[in-house]
Amino acid sequence: MIHAKNVSKRVQVADSELCILKGTSLEIKRGESVAIIGPSGSGKSTLLGLLAGLDEPTDGDIWLAGEHLNALDEDGRAALRARLVGFVFQSFQLLPGLTAQENVMLPLELRGDRSAAEVAKDYLNRVGLGHRLDHYPRQLSGGEQQRVALARAFAPQPDILFADEPTGNLDADTGASVNDLLFSLNAQSSTTLVLVTHEPILAKRCARRITLAAGEIMEDTGEALPA
Amino acid sequence: MSHLRWLMREWRGGELALLLVSLLLAVTIVSGVAGFAERLQRGIVGESHQFLAADLVLKTPRALPAEAFAELPDGVETARVIEFRSMVVAGEAMELASIKAVSERYPLKGELTISDEPFGLPLASREIPPAGTAWLDSRLFPLLGIEIGDALQLGDVSLRAEQALITEPDRGTSFYGMGPRVLINEQDVARSGVVQAGSLVDYRYLFAGASEPLAQVQTALQPQLTVSDRWQSLDDSQPQIARTLERAERFLLLAGSFGVALAGVAVALAARRYSQRHLDTVAVMKALGAGSSQITRLYVGNILLLALVSALLGWALGLGVQTALFAMIRDLVGFTPPAGTLRPLLAGAITALLCVASFALPPVLRLRSVPPLRVLRRDLGNESLSSGVSAGAGIAGLFLLMLWYTGSVELVLAVLVGVAVILGLAGILVLRLFTSLRRWAQGAGGVMKLALSAMVRRRQANAFQVVSLALALMVLLCIIAARSSLMKEWQLQLPTDTPNHFLVNIAPDQVAPVDAWLDQHDIRSAGLYPMVRGRLVTIDGQDVYEIPEIEANRGSVNREINLSWSEQLPEDNKLTSGHWWTDSNDAMAQVSVEEEFAERLGISVGTRLGFRIGGLPLEAEVSSLRSLSWDSMRPNFFLLFEPGVLEAYPSSSITSFYLDANDKVLLNDLLSRFPTITLIEMDAVIRQARTVVDQVSAALELVLVLIIACALLVGIANLQASLDSRLHENAILRTLGASRQLIRTCLLAEFALIGLLAGLLAGVGAEICLYLIQTRLLDMEPSWHPMFWLAAPIGAASLVAVSGWWFCREVIVAPPLQVLRRL
Repeated sequence: MIHAKNVSKRVQVADSELCILKGTSLEIKRGESVAIIGPSGSGKSTLLGLLAGLDEPTDGDIWLAGEHLNALDEDGRAALRARLVGFVFQSFQLLPGLTAQENVMLPLELRGDRSAAEVAKDYLNRVGLGHRLDHYPRQLSGGEQQRVALARAFAPQPDILFADEPTGNLDADTGASVNDLLFSLNAQSSTTLVLVTHEPILAKRCARRITLAAGEIMEDTGEALPA
Repeated sequence: MSHLRWLMREWRGGELALLLVSLLLAVTIVSGVAGFAERLQRGIVGESHQFLAADLVLKTPRALPAEAFAELPDGVETARVIEFRSMVVAGEAMELASIKAVSERYPLKGELTISDEPFGLPLASREIPPAGTAWLDSRLFPLLGIEIGDALQLGDVSLRAEQALITEPDRGTSFYGMGPRVLINEQDVARSGVVQAGSLVDYRYLFAGASEPLAQVQTALQPQLTVSDRWQSLDDSQPQIARTLERAERFLLLAGSFGVALAGVAVALAARRYSQRHLDTVAVMKALGAGSSQITRLYVGNILLLALVSALLGWALGLGVQTALFAMIRDLVGFTPPAGTLRPLLAGAITALLCVASFALPPVLRLRSVPPLRVLRRDLGNESLSSGVSAGAGIAGLFLLMLWYTGSVELVLAVLVGVAVILGLAGILVLRLFTSLRRWAQGAGGVMKLALSAMVRRRQANAFQVVSLALALMVLLCIIAARSSLMKEWQLQLPTDTPNHFLVNIAPDQVAPVDAWLDQHDIRSAGLYPMVRGRLVTIDGQDVYEIPEIEANRGSVNREINLSWSEQLPEDNKLTSGHWWTDSNDAMAQVSVEEEFAERLGISVGTRLGFRIGGLPLEAEVSSLRSLSWDSMRPNFFLLFEPGVLEAYPSSSITSFYLDANDKVLLNDLLSRFPTITLIEMDAVIRQARTVVDQVSAALELVLVLIIACALLVGIANLQASLDSRLHENAILRTLGASRQLIRTCLLAEFALIGLLAGLLAGVGAEICLYLIQTRLLDMEPSWHPMFWLAAPIGAASLVAVSGWWFCREVIVAPPLQVLRRL
């Protein structure tokens, strides 16, 4: 499903060049759940951004669902994301001017789905927020906002879900319930899950764990763990 | 996704409100003020045309054949006036009167004012005297010893005195030697047999209609005209009114274009903030699969829809503004406002589009380049808004808007270059000041240290804020000052005690008794000036009829001129070259000449002028040129001699004085004591002129209110632009334990300093701009405004501090976490 080959990312900082990722290669199969872990600054979020086509590598090649990302421009990658990819972010990234339902409808509307409202309602019911359809993000708690974000991520039924520290902004209890919801929705839809996390408990719930340090893969369990 | 649905969602988000209000204000100013000004202008011009009783007049000493007017363009109305002097007789009494015979439809503009009894209450009349009747100046009744209904004789015809005539719209100002007025029907002229071949008669052909058909009339009649025929329009008949209108129009345009420019700046600021707050939204949408073109379509569509909404709403509001403005000056405007045209709708739509294209679209278009990676790294994408393109487009838009609004490249370039230079220099100065604050901040303690550090950290944003606030304030100060100096000048031109009655033909032996009569009734006159009538016959020894250069100004020499003498330079006269009388042994008499008269005839200091007075020659040398104010309603003379030159010639005297309407009955006593003196009542004309000034002043005041709204809007947009970063910073400070008192004081200190600097800059900038506006644009004496230097900084500091605190109060009132989460 995802294939990265010798991917590097270097950025210019003042007069020197900083290497964030160093010749990383990996392959993620359809339906796999993968946790990318590692200390701060190890390159986890950079790798996630590259795999999702949000950024371009300095060197190396990436394929997403068979499409060579390097060969696509930003609009091409956006079209691919619209078709295949869902996101969950640490800071929720809900649009403040839209209601919960409208936030969930957004990716569906962007791809021209006419049943966006019904689908969004259905997914908000699944995350337990069917009674808060018309509430704005500012009227929801952190945990509720992340549940709306989960509904938004799963509603278009993406092939791949990228999650960046999905519970990083939540307390332990709320985080645990959001995690349960994430994995339950993932199990229902057999989505390929790639998540970046600091939390060992969350990482352990994934079938595979890739550990990064200083821009290099230190460890890749490469095998399924019992749920 | 539907644009309308997207617009509605965005609207609920609350961030479009300021953008819409700014756009609306720009459109409202254009469609409201321009529409109002256009209608007021048409109304006032119509009103002013009453001075002519028409839009266009052809003045000729001969009757033109009826065929000349056979084929007039559609929509042109005509009427005829024949004026001559003749004796009117009633029993034993006879009086030399100025007869005015008018045709049906006279007057084409304005109306006649009559009364049922001499010196009685004025009534408007839309009729003219029926054939066989006459309407007489009130004073003729006592002079002829008749009453309403009695008969009087004009040549061979007997007429019945039916009404007292108070005034006609085109009573005119060429009043020397004019007798009391008798208004008759033109049919009675032929029956009277008074007008014969060779009689001195003025024919005036009146035309009214739109300017295009009137131009056709002029073209069609031109081949039949001779040098003695003259066209008269508003500009010729009432130069003062024309000048007042011209200045008022320039001021309205200037104020309006500044208003639109300010609203444009507010649009730019609001659009920038709108874009700033949509960086995250666009990044999320892109991460979720929206392409750049989809983003462009959505946002551009959004902005265009907003432009459409503001064009329509602004037009409606503009109509409301026009109606409100007319309602507010209802008592001043003596006419029904002419119907509005569709031009304001078009003008508003073009304004909305121009504002959107040059101010709002550049920052919004740059949203397409926000990288989707911003969802993971919030530091990305901010730079996409800081492009010079926005500034360039804004300046180009401002230029186009102001050009389109004023139609003067020169004016717009002068304003833009002037403002750019002042603001550029001010920006550099303020930036340097903020940089040097850093050193003070290190030395300061407590609150001051915090406030100063905050200002230094945001020095670029603050410098921008100071400069843009200074711009808004500067515009406001300029408009206020230009308006008040214009009003002051107008009021000076027509003070309430402006002489409104003239006495002419005062015989030398009547001078002392008339003066005594005026004193006795506490009437202050402008002084009694002797007057000798003579012709100018040679210039530097050459016969005036042989000087080809003065062919076009034959009117100035082809008549008798009033000559006078004076020891002192009259009060409202000003020497422009040469010198007042000097003791000289030269036998040649000295004469001072009015400068425009001199210019027309090519006369300068040292020119020798030859006169013929009562058949006797007189030669004089021009010793000085003078400018004088014809609007002062005091006796004024083209030619003033030194004392001792004209005394030997037969003379009469002239004076003018102010008489309140309630005291007009005194005139009966004056006229019965001195029946040979001619009285000219100018009060109606002055009242008309004052009404025009009042109307225009009221309009200017109302425009000022809209400009203030624009300046306030810029101030609000400006404060909002830096609101998020201030809220964020102060929320963090509060989280770290800063007390509310500390934050409040810091905010007040920072905003007060910004306001103080903006006020100082605005005071200096306004002084420079005003100097240019007054001397170059409004043709006025420059004036200085020391109050600006004090009031502007203090006022701006207080206003910005209070409003800044108001907008940021959330950070003081709400728990810091709530503020941080909202941001």
